[in-house]
Amino acid sequence: MDTREAPIPVGTTVMMERTGETMEEMYVNMGPQHPSTHGVLRLMLKLDGEVMTDCIPYVGYLHRCHEKIAENRTYPQVVPYTDRLDYLASMSMNFGYVVAVERLMGQKVPERAEHMRVILAELQRIASHLLWLGTFGLDLGNFTIFIYCFREREMILDLFEAVSGQRLNYSFYRIGGMAFDFPDGWLDNCRAFLEWFKPRIPEYDALVTDNILFQKRLQGVGVLDAKRVVDWGLSGPMLRASGISYDLRRNDPYSIYDRFDFVVPVFDTCDVWARFLVRRQEMLESVKIIEQALDQLPAGEITAKMPKTIKPPAGQVYARTESPRGELGFYLVSDGSPKPYRYKVRSPAFCNLSALPEMMKGYLVADAVAILGSVDIVLGEIDR
Amino acid sequence: MTIQLGIFYILAVFTVWAAAVVVLGKNIVRAAVALIFTFCGMAALYVLLDAEFLAAVQVLIYVGGITILLLFAIMLTSRISSATARVINDQVVLSAIAAAGILVGLIYAAMRGIPALSGPPRLPETTPFLGRALLTTYALPFEVASILLLAGMVGAIILARKE
Amino acid sequence: MITFARLSEQFYALTAQWGIPWIVPTLVVMGIVVGVIVAYIAVAAMFLIWWERKISAHIQVRFGPMRVGGWHGWAQSIADGIKLLLKEDIIPARADKVVFVLAPMVVFAASLATYVTIPWAPGLIVKDLNIGLLYMVAISSLTVVGIVMAGWSSNNKYATLGAMRSAAQAVSYEVPLVLSLLGPVMLAGTMSMGQLVEAQGGTWFGFLPGWFVFPQAVAFLVYFVCALAECNRLPFDIPEAESELVAGFHVEYSGMRFAIFFLAEYANMVVVAAIATTLFLGGWRGPWLPIPGLPAEVSRGLFSLVWFQVKVYFLIFVMMWLRWTLNRLRVDQLMDFAWKILLPIAFANLIITGLVVTIWK
Repeated sequence: MDTREAPIPVGTTVMMERTGETMEEMYVNMGPQHPSTHGVLRLMLKLDGEVMTDCIPYVGYLHRCHEKIAENRTYPQVVPYTDRLDYLASMSMNFGYVVAVERLMGQKVPERAEHMRVILAELQRIASHLLWLGTFGLDLGNFTIFIYCFREREMILDLFEAVSGQRLNYSFYRIGGMAFDFPDGWLDNCRAFLEWFKPRIPEYDALVTDNILFQKRLQGVGVLDAKRVVDWGLSGPMLRASGISYDLRRNDPYSIYDRFDFVVPVFDTCDVWARFLVRRQEMLESVKIIEQALDQLPAGEITAKMPKTIKPPAGQVYARTESPRGELGFYLVSDGSPKPYRYKVRSPAFCNLSALPEMMKGYLVADAVAILGSVDIVLGEIDR
Repeated sequence: MTIQLGIFYILAVFTVWAAAVVVLGKNIVRAAVALIFTFCGMAALYVLLDAEFLAAVQVLIYVGGITILLLFAIMLTSRISSATARVINDQVVLSAIAAAGILVGLIYAAMRGIPALSGPPRLPETTPFLGRALLTTYALPFEVASILLLAGMVGAIILARKE
Repeated sequence: MITFARLSEQFYALTAQWGIPWIVPTLVVMGIVVGVIVAYIAVAAMFLIWWERKISAHIQVRFGPMRVGGWHGWAQSIADGIKLLLKEDIIPARADKVVFVLAPMVVFAASLATYVTIPWAPGLIVKDLNIGLLYMVAISSLTVVGIVMAGWSSNNKYATLGAMRSAAQAVSYEVPLVLSLLGPVMLAGTMSMGQLVEAQGGTWFGFLPGWFVFPQAVAFLVYFVCALAECNRLPFDIPEAESELVAGFHVEYSGMRFAIFFLAEYANMVVVAAIATTLFLGGWRGPWLPIPGLPAEVSRGLFSLVWFQVKVYFLIFVMMWLRWTLNRLRVDQLMDFAWKILLPIAFANLIITGLVVTIWK
């Protein structure tokens, strides 16, 4: 983040500044409390009339010393903290973490548990994208899509509550497997949900995707071409919206993703519209993956036999998984003790957000909300 | 005292008071708001003179357009709310003489009764009359005014464009 | 013919007979008229607020108000109104008090004044001005002034920007609005609201009712879109949007003052729908049956009253439907749409209508 311009004190709402012979430039503050910043994010927009010339994100309002805390917890005790990273995709956060620890330990996970992991992670992807779609539409003024998306999300949350007891921060994945097995009837409910969900996407299409007003707001906005996307280290839908076909589930498979047949949606207009289409298509692809996983679900144990204290051998690992927001990386350094020596989270939203100033430059301030929405940030993960 | 005369006096006092606020007011924004009331008062006086079309157009154009423009200009000027307008300036003596002279002339004209100013013909509807007049007898001034407006618009756009 | 004009004239004559000075019956009639209109606006606004919540709820697969008052929460608006009345009246510290207080009054007064020329039923207009339509459009432009005053006097940068946006939007959309209204005016040959309805008697091709929407469908659509913009309704609600960067011109208003803005917005919606109904949908025209026991004129009047309301509220329903389905336009797209699309269409409609009217007559 550009801190050169930090002299503007927190709490200033607006400053009019005459910069020599150039036109009047104005700073407008968005947040940290704002309906559209999706969390406690403060954006300082430098405006020249209606055009944004710079955008300075101020993060850290939600910093909770996550990484330092983890150094003082045993490996299993870190799992609930990972939930609170990206609290809208807790299952994916858990997934990333346990994959990292298991890789460090060389631990194999039973088949049933692997399938469970994929099912829940993909359901979580759908839920996260639904929330994103709802709030994105809400920011643009479409209230109805918000309610529709949350209706489906509630069904997923009901499924999650049945399996884990929690609606938001599940702490469901364990090192070596899962916490509990599916309760009775859960699999049928899951299939019923998928059947209900498949015709929903055409319903959303009728409301937003095919709506010319919606398209006009998003097309050609927030463009970041393929080269810049790679330079900035973006990942996830941001990457795939700029024509780069890279999905960790396909390019660097973890767990059992290499067994499933799904398409990685890629669009190449590099704008907010492409990111919208990528996430929309990803929901449909996740449905396919879940169905295949449900079909292939074997019987068996849901957790491997784990020692009482988990003490990975000394060493380090960087394990990356595809969270709904992009490449989620966990870097763990173990010194042989039950607590991690160093624990670092590579947050996809943080890296995606760092490209925001470049994405905002030159667009109208009315587009700020759309561009920020397309990055799909969650402050819990950005600030840790 | 007929109804018309009573209403006329009320409206006249209102309009003159609003105009006085415009001219003598120290706060520019208050002056602009008073200008709105002045224009509305004038529109009402037009109605009394049976020029109802003119009254409606006065409200539509002057209040709905020109005062908005004025307010925009005021609001876009920085630090204008703290600036106070000078009510009295160096030319106060000359302008007082000129204003008094015009007032005397108007009173004289009103009392003498200039033939050209003796009451308009009472038309049942002025709108068709105005329309026909603008497009036949007064077509040339009408077109010239349109061209003037066009020139103004083009000039404004060119001035406002950033190179 | 029983008309409001004749009734009031008879009333004046009666009081003159009894020797009461002219000012008394004038004020009495004015008082009654204002009272009835304000009561109508209050009830209509309360109903519309409740209705909007119900419509939005059903579009969003919810129920909306269900409890307050029993059946489907019909008393919800009353409860909201009482709540707003009881709220603290906050005026920002460095706001310009006079203008701040005046702004909602200007907006409401402008909305109120347009009710004078609405033809509710045959003969039931407060005053059938011969420039009725022009008068309504002119007075509606006063709401813009009120909005700008509100935004400025709030001493809030965002409110000022929101007010200016709103003013720019309103002024831009006024032009195609007026042009689209000129089509039916040319067809009827008059700007008087009462006579515009009279001119829509008869039929097109023998079976379609003689409304102006059929020859002037394009003008109707242009008018409807401009009307949405004038009322600051989605997709043109940038001035009121909370999720956009600028909050809106009424952000500093609370309690009763905010309620007046709100009321004025719904009153405006009714006016705008009433103009559309009068000019395009035949006003109060509709089939009627004589009610036994009442003179034919009165039963026709009652049916016409109902038909007018049905048409007006149908149009308002469409407005609400659009609000909860569509998303917002960006500010520059909004302006583009008004100046580059609606205006040429309105002009074309005007020219073609003018040619057709001249050739046919």
